[in-house]
Amino acid sequence: MNDTLRGILSWEFIASGIRVTTPILLAAMGALVAEMAGTPNIALEGIMLFSAFIGVLISGFTQSLFPAILAGIATGLVLAGILAYFALKLKTNIILAAIALNIFASGGTIFFLSALTGDKGSSASVNSLVIPDVTIPLIDKIPVLGDILSGHHVITYVAIAAVFLVQFMLYKTPLGLRIRAVGENPEAAESVGISVNRTRLIALLISGLLASLGGLFLSMGYVSWFARDMTAGRGWIALAAQALGGTSAYGVAGGSLLFGFTEAASYSLQFFNIPYELTQSLPFIITVGVMALYAWRRLKVYKKIDVL
Amino acid sequence: MKKGQLFELYRTGIAIGIALLLGYLIVFFTSFPEGALSLGEKIAQAFSATNEAFKYFLLGPVIKWRGDAALFNDRGFIQWINETVPIMITGLAVAIVFSAKIFNIGAEGQLFIGAVGATFAAVHFPAIPVLHPILVIAVAMLCGAGWAVIPGVIKSRLKASELVTSLMMNYVAFFFGLFLIKTFIRDQTAGSLVSEKFQDTALLPLLNERYKWHIGILIAIGLTIFVWFLMKRTTWGYRVRLVGDNIHFAHFSGIKTPSVVFQAQVVSGAIAGMAGIIELMGYHGRFLWLVSPGYGWDGIIIATLARNNPLYVPIAALFLSYIRVGAKTMGRYTDIAPEIVAILQAAIILLVTAEAFLAKWKQRAIEKEATRGEMTLEGGEKA
Repeated sequence: MNDTLRGILSWEFIASGIRVTTPILLAAMGALVAEMAGTPNIALEGIMLFSAFIGVLISGFTQSLFPAILAGIATGLVLAGILAYFALKLKTNIILAAIALNIFASGGTIFFLSALTGDKGSSASVNSLVIPDVTIPLIDKIPVLGDILSGHHVITYVAIAAVFLVQFMLYKTPLGLRIRAVGENPEAAESVGISVNRTRLIALLISGLLASLGGLFLSMGYVSWFARDMTAGRGWIALAAQALGGTSAYGVAGGSLLFGFTEAASYSLQFFNIPYELTQSLPFIITVGVMALYAWRRLKVYKKIDVL
Repeated sequence: MKKGQLFELYRTGIAIGIALLLGYLIVFFTSFPEGALSLGEKIAQAFSATNEAFKYFLLGPVIKWRGDAALFNDRGFIQWINETVPIMITGLAVAIVFSAKIFNIGAEGQLFIGAVGATFAAVHFPAIPVLHPILVIAVAMLCGAGWAVIPGVIKSRLKASELVTSLMMNYVAFFFGLFLIKTFIRDQTAGSLVSEKFQDTALLPLLNERYKWHIGILIAIGLTIFVWFLMKRTTWGYRVRLVGDNIHFAHFSGIKTPSVVFQAQVVSGAIAGMAGIIELMGYHGRFLWLVSPGYGWDGIIIATLARNNPLYVPIAALFLSYIRVGAKTMGRYTDIAPEIVAILQAAIILLVTAEAFLAKWKQRAIEKEATRGEMTLEGGEKA
């Protein structure tokens, strides 16, 4: 058991936990912004996947990072824009529209990958680039602290910044106030002159932007290629992390860390005869439990029983 | 047929037409030849390549070509029907919850855990002919229903969103199910992770031995009639639909809405639970899924296409599996990836569910119907 503990507490483990958490964290921030506006974005999975794909593709063709990152982000914005157009303008049920986008991303990336490279499994034949790690000068020399703070991927730092930015945006800016108002009570928001559709569009675009960064991290950082369905449910896990974390960006970051670190731990725990299927399902069980608990508390607060 | 329904039919047809056109254009551009040909020749070549590909896509499941002769493709036909079975069943399951406007997307996990639980029954239960497969399916239904109880309770008693909880349950079902198969019933002699073989008595009878056409389609049709009767001809079904139409009205009409919401999810779970095991009993003869098969998601597409009407579910399921088998056939004869079908599916769902798409047209149709109704009414009074 000592070995287990040592394995879990090693710096490599923490580094791998941070790596696994990064894409989940970004997508979960996206989930939070969209959820607060009352338009849950369950297309995060597909947005991440398509951005990961476009990032690899453009970096392979242009051999330069900047257009690749830009194109990846643009992909996220376009897909979120399509979702917003169908949900807000054409009154499609937002959940069904998002499921359609996920199907499109999963099959579409494979189709275009095969059409452009002849390979259906991965983009191994594309000579794509990776976004580099960052070494913070001076801090990286400090023992222990240097290992924790320095040497991560650029997007990991972006993700950490995103937590504070999202929290600030939601609770300290007029835009955040509008987003929360529209999510809480769209009719009331409309009556004081807030454009519900425009606010929701902005919230969905922000969530698409954040998710696209998570996707870029997967294919241009976590690994250096695109593989079919490489998001492997991270967009859905992000929704769970959001549900777990509630309405504050810090809470959601905590939820993302829980999922990221359990996944990282499940690999190490396998060596100690703890089946990784059980460790991996643990955060999902916790999420269901916590959601039930939230709901139960809310019920106790609002003693008044309404229709459903 | 009422004008409203007719309109929905038109809209579905137009959505499918647009999706097919989109697919045609995508194939056209991806098969655009490179090299020193003139533009006209390139366009001509791309056209003929696209037409060839679409011939396989649209006709492949039922027709095969031997030289110039076009023959009935029995293998493709059987594959088409077999692939329809699981998604037709999940389509029915999803239609029930969606009728009550419950966004329970847990069919995927329910069918997975149902298949896992029933695998134990198929391997270990006493080998009594006829009774054995019935028991296996019953176990699958129980597992699926049991799995639906958790989000059902959380939704109906605690009033928390079923969307996320049912999604979480899918993951738990997947990991937990694989763990059970791996630990207790794994075939140690097989190279990959599969369960032990089902006993012969647990297998479904075959209609065609060579291509393994199993009787799953008959079960699915029977189930369709059952669900149609349940939803459209019983008070239970009426209550479920009323909760979906207007939950406040249902509540003030004295319906115990929480228990309706709960029951709808459990019944849907029991049906979804069967979807996986029927394919395993009919075709594979053992549990072999290392990734979730995705039929629960297909069920959402089908229920959407069928407007949650059980009678339209088989049509939607047949359509979906037809274009999939067609795409696979196309993939075999050309170098176009069959995944293109996902792009078409996405376009169809988006357009079919877009309420405002062609809504002006619908408005006009309804107005016309209303004015005509008034006129006949007036005419009737005068007479």
